[in-house]
Amino acid sequence: MIQPKWRTVVGYVVLIGFLVGILLPFYWMFVTAFKPNAEIASYPPHLIPAHWTLSHFVEAFGKYGFGPFIRNSVIVSVSTTFLVLFFGSMAGFALARLPIPGRAPLMIALLVISMFPEIAVVSPLYVLLRTLGWLNSYQALIVPYTAFNLPFAIWILRNYFLQVPGALFEAAAVDGASIYRTFYQIFLPITTPGLFTAAVFTFVASWTEFLFALVFNSSNSMRTIPVGIALFSGQYTVPYGTIFAGSLVSVVPVIVLVVIFRKWIVSGLTQGAVKG
Amino acid sequence: MKAEVNSTGRSLVGQVRPETLRARQRRAGYGMILPGLIIIGGITIFPILYSVWLSLNNVNLTVNGYQTNFIGLKNYNTLIHVQAFWHSLWFTFYYSVVTVTLELLFGLLIALAINNVQKLKNLSVVVMLIPWSLITVISAQMWNYIYDGVYGVLNYVLQFLHVIGAPVTWLGTPTLAVSAIMVADIWKTTPFVVIIILAGLQMIPTEYYEAARMDGANSWQVFWSIIFPQLRGSIALAGLFRILQAFGVFDLPFVLTNGGPGNATTSLAILGEQVLFQELHFGTGSAVAVATVLLVLIISLLFLSAFRTLVTEGDSA
Repeated sequence: MIQPKWRTVVGYVVLIGFLVGILLPFYWMFVTAFKPNAEIASYPPHLIPAHWTLSHFVEAFGKYGFGPFIRNSVIVSVSTTFLVLFFGSMAGFALARLPIPGRAPLMIALLVISMFPEIAVVSPLYVLLRTLGWLNSYQALIVPYTAFNLPFAIWILRNYFLQVPGALFEAAAVDGASIYRTFYQIFLPITTPGLFTAAVFTFVASWTEFLFALVFNSSNSMRTIPVGIALFSGQYTVPYGTIFAGSLVSVVPVIVLVVIFRKWIVSGLTQGAVKG
Repeated sequence: MKAEVNSTGRSLVGQVRPETLRARQRRAGYGMILPGLIIIGGITIFPILYSVWLSLNNVNLTVNGYQTNFIGLKNYNTLIHVQAFWHSLWFTFYYSVVTVTLELLFGLLIALAINNVQKLKNLSVVVMLIPWSLITVISAQMWNYIYDGVYGVLNYVLQFLHVIGAPVTWLGTPTLAVSAIMVADIWKTTPFVVIIILAGLQMIPTEYYEAARMDGANSWQVFWSIIFPQLRGSIALAGLFRILQAFGVFDLPFVLTNGGPGNATTSLAILGEQVLFQELHFGTGSAVAVATVLLVLIISLLFLSAFRTLVTEGDSA
């Protein structure tokens, strides 16, 4: 499409301004992680560090014990992702392809449920987990995370299963192949992109979740990254250098995921089902 | 040897009657859906109903369990006479409406401006996804340091630009703290709205624009007659989802202000957490939770027709 030159110029200016606006706060966190404490607390601030140091990274993993937070987050997020893919792909397939009565109301119900704020269930879940003796355990987070991420995964996967030509399913069914085999051997491989999308969304949601992690797993050894970072600010001053050093380490794996899976993330975001 | 035949004389082998196949498929379908539904129901629907029960009780945590003592609507009566509850309700509503409106507006304007930029596409997508994938607590700590009243970089930049004369304690003043949290939210979510709207824009066939140009339509007319009608659905839906999410706002105020100064930034979720886990009033805390659920339900029901369209669109695709 031919368009006036001024509009192209405006487009570039807005785009670059927008990207810089996103990155500037991030830049500030990045350089602060490498500044000595004296510079972190200096005013006027040094926009570019005068001295660079790795001491905050050493401190984060030594004195502040950031390592276990990362381990806990990885265990919880990876387990949740696998459970969601397992249950979500089956349910998504059934809702897309099998003659189950009341599919449309069920899909709406799932959508509404996925929108409920966590605060709505936190008190009963807490008394329940406490009575079971499950507070400060991995399952205290894995089970609720699975439940909260399943509706969205079912939606995404159902959309992918709907796109597989119906003839393929009928051909397999008439052949006498069992429905489960049809699902595992024919449908699941075709819908790998859907699995990627659901996996990245579930992983990011579990990795970033805060309220459940804060109230269910508050003991120091069971904290996930968000809880560890939120409760860092203890004693007299906030140890920003250490907080940002730990933050950067926990941001890297997610940015790698984003770079690799960006296409699937965008397709997930734009499928009408929108989750932040 | 004769093949086995039934009374109608047709072979049974290799023939599946349509009803049986359908019944078999339905049974398999239930088997595939049920595990997921049990997990979802057990962790969302059952607790929501159970919190209604808890909210009608005086709940005491004991060493290895809890005791309930039915007191009817007393917790709700306490709640509606507490000014903090009404304030958190107002704050949550105000916060959700303002942030989501601004995010949609900025998202639309930015997406329209950059829609035709052909270069930097991969880089832009990655950069725009960074705030989305960032742990909210981390971005809250990042803004905490930027807003700091003593050595915050925001004061430095604004003083350098002569916008302010003396350093401002952004998070220590009620109205400024509300705006500061909103800015942090807008920073995190606008890029995500831009991605959604850009995808919508890219699905509009270029012929539409060309035809409109041939007819002599100006940019304004093109926007209102072609672009907006095509985007309306996705904008409305994104807005609804964002509003419902914003209703649960917890992480940003928890880290930045802990609901303060005073109760200026106490959202429903912050109030609920405080009543439940700091005051240990599980009955009253559950009443706050139930109030939140009612609000979300009311909004969802108002938009039920939008949901229904989404399901039917998915079916025809």
